[in-house]
Amino acid sequence: MPEVLSAGPDLPPGIFVPLPDAPRRLLPLDGVKVSAGFPSPAADYEDARLDINDYLVRNPVSTFFFAVQGDSMQGAEIFDGDILVVDRSIRARHGHVVVAFINGERLVKRLYRRSGRVALVAENPGYPALEIQDGMELVVWGVVVGKFKRFAA
Amino acid sequence: MGRGGRQVQALCRLIPVPVFALVDCNNFYASCEKLFNPRLRDRPVVVLSNNDGCVVARSAEVKALGIPMGVPWFKIRDDARRHGIVAFSSNYALYADMSNRVVDVLSGFAPNLEVYSIDESFLELSGLPLPEGGLVVYGAGIRQRIADWLGLAVCVGIAPTKTLAKLANHCAKKGLAGADGVCDFTAMNRDELTALFERIAVGEVWGVGRKIEARLETMGIRTVRQLRDADPEAIRSRFSVVLERTVRELRGISCIDLEEVVPDRQQIMVSRSFGHLVTDLEELEEAVASYIARAAEKLRSQNSMAGALQVYVRTNIFKPEVPQYQRGVTLPLPEATADTRILAGWARRILRRIYRPGFGYHKAGVMLLDLRPAGNRQFSLLDGQGGTGDARSDRLMAVLDGINQRYGRGSLRLAAEGVDRAWRMRRGNLSPGYTTDWAGLAVVRAV
Repeated sequence: MPEVLSAGPDLPPGIFVPLPDAPRRLLPLDGVKVSAGFPSPAADYEDARLDINDYLVRNPVSTFFFAVQGDSMQGAEIFDGDILVVDRSIRARHGHVVVAFINGERLVKRLYRRSGRVALVAENPGYPALEIQDGMELVVWGVVVGKFKRFAA
Repeated sequence: MGRGGRQVQALCRLIPVPVFALVDCNNFYASCEKLFNPRLRDRPVVVLSNNDGCVVARSAEVKALGIPMGVPWFKIRDDARRHGIVAFSSNYALYADMSNRVVDVLSGFAPNLEVYSIDESFLELSGLPLPEGGLVVYGAGIRQRIADWLGLAVCVGIAPTKTLAKLANHCAKKGLAGADGVCDFTAMNRDELTALFERIAVGEVWGVGRKIEARLETMGIRTVRQLRDADPEAIRSRFSVVLERTVRELRGISCIDLEEVVPDRQQIMVSRSFGHLVTDLEELEEAVASYIARAAEKLRSQNSMAGALQVYVRTNIFKPEVPQYQRGVTLPLPEATADTRILAGWARRILRRIYRPGFGYHKAGVMLLDLRPAGNRQFSLLDGQGGTGDARSDRLMAVLDGINQRYGRGSLRLAAEGVDRAWRMRRGNLSPGYTTDWAGLAVVRAV
């Protein structure tokens, strides 16, 4: 072990400190409660506060968010400006609302897959279903499992 | 056989000691870019280094065009235009998040895991139940899950040593052995392996760089097989214990454990699981500062500088009963550096950003990325006093390393170093922070 080294003429000042076995001073951190006395009766309930992540996100690893643009999914309560919660760990089935990549576009639609027919269906009478024909490359990116939105206030 | 019977069998057949898997993401940065952008499907994509200097990642389409790794962008700009290559600035925030997700998925497959680089992890499989179809089923399961959950392609190499697992991964990636992106050396007999190793150049072996490759060549060792069959004692006396260990590892004798620090060509990673759970920021800061010191020393010993820095912390994922948290942030540095003080300053800022009180942290790590030779400096326009490039800093770091070499690592350490200025880099075509920035979310059209 070296002698205690201090900043000297050969070292710029204020940069090095001796560390091995130097006494440590613990400083209180902001926001950490230190209680002396009776334990708080609420201590047992510390984890009970609701977390919106628990509500919206089932599998955080495989969950991604997308922003919605357009009104074709109003019937599924998905509106312009909503943020979608998309979970890739769910296998997309007939009837799921999905994020899909097709023709170089990212779309949100309801997946129709019955008796050999595959289509992306809107939830707004103003928009026709998009039939997936041979030769079209459809990537069902993930299943929409929720949505959220923040209001100006 | 009934369900109960299969369970009994699964309990009886465990994977023998030791078996490693190396999971490596294919064209990782380029794949992350493609994942969120449907217009990039089948398009050639490159990712450029800081300040849009050189090609640091290539999609499969770009590799097929024969454009090499590391080539300066200005040299291929015309080719790129002709081939419709899309070039992105490095979006380390996106890559780091996807990397962390990959590690999360892998954590579900094996309790012992080493994050080797931003796109590679080693798993230790011994003691786990052996699937009925063999280890290849295990590898295929990993591959499928990462494809399903994260939309990324990985290759899996499985073997009794880390060096062989890395080689098996190479074989999987190049289609030399195995199938469907999984190569299991434990399922091949010695003759099959010998025939395979005869066809692979010795430079593909983990730890055999260009210099060593050239010296081996003078000894007539050109293939993996020749290195495997070389006399370990002779290798030791002519090269080093490290290369001798490589020879033994090629023979299937495991010498390198998980989590040893090994510098990679592109990243230097230092991480440790704590012996106990760490809850306070001060202690985490000390740990991270020490990792930075070690990583920066490695960086300087190989005469490199880092252009980006990642810090991550995580709770113990194998204790699901306690609150879980993990976060990693990658920061492109305003100017590449090998200066411990500057790296430590940035690391502390990252740590303060990702630290959340109330969790028991199990592990922390730092990664130096975007490495480049120290001679090859690009000065930032806004370089001010105490910049990393000056000779004083180099001398100081030499003194630091000298003292630490003489008195043992960690004898002389940093107290604190604040770096208060944020510089802007040239990042001409940066994709949005799809997963890290609310303003960067990808838009899905409801039309």
